[in-house]
Amino acid sequence: MHLSNSIDELQSLSAKLEQFGEKQHLAPEMMFNLNLVLEEILTNIIFYAYDDSNAHAIELNIALENENIEIEIIDDGKPFNPLERPEPDVNQSLEARQIGGLGIFLVKKIMDKADYLRRANKNILTLKKNLNTKS
Amino acid sequence: MEIVTTKSNDVLSIAVSGRLDTITAPEFEKKILELVTPENQKIILNCADLSYISSSGLRVILMTLKKVKANNGKLIICSLQESIKEVFNICGFTSLLTITDNCESALSSF
Repeated sequence: MHLSNSIDELQSLSAKLEQFGEKQHLAPEMMFNLNLVLEEILTNIIFYAYDDSNAHAIELNIALENENIEIEIIDDGKPFNPLERPEPDVNQSLEARQIGGLGIFLVKKIMDKADYLRRANKNILTLKKNLNTKS
Repeated sequence: MEIVTTKSNDVLSIAVSGRLDTITAPEFEKKILELVTPENQKIILNCADLSYISSSGLRVILMTLKKVKANNGKLIICSLQESIKEVFNICGFTSLLTITDNCESALSSF
């Protein structure tokens, strides 16, 4: 599916994801996790990937094969590997805790595998999750 | 996302329902931070009907907790759905916040 770089697209993402989940009979917890992971990645791209204010297409492919969910997100923004963002220290006290930075951290924790590739001026992020692993 | 507030004795209960995501979090942030005042020292955030949260919502929860603590108040979160509880665990929120299974135990935790 193709999404544009507008935050309103998150609503159509949820709707489309719902259709995918129903078709593949995914458990509600898996749907919750997929929704969360995709929102975090897309929000990150929409807010940080583009230096201009033009419309950009973000390609999202999601498939279920041999009990593995495979997601591919491709954008034409500036080179950026979200997986290299510094991780928050979740053991810190309230006083020391930073307010943000949890999004990509959650993606890495929830998914089994995450890989980033820069190819043909595009950022390609692939994520995998087995249906039977806990987050 | 909707919030409904009730004040009973000295406890302010905030029931949040629906989705706390990138789209709804700014409105939630504005509303909840307005409710955190020195007059409201005891606050319960009832999440029984909260179906979804992303990092944008978690960010507001953390801001709220910091503001409540700055007022020397106490924030208790109750009735989290299972998937949200799991997200709280991953983010280390479980050790920062007082979380109870239901509103009754929240009331007795002040």
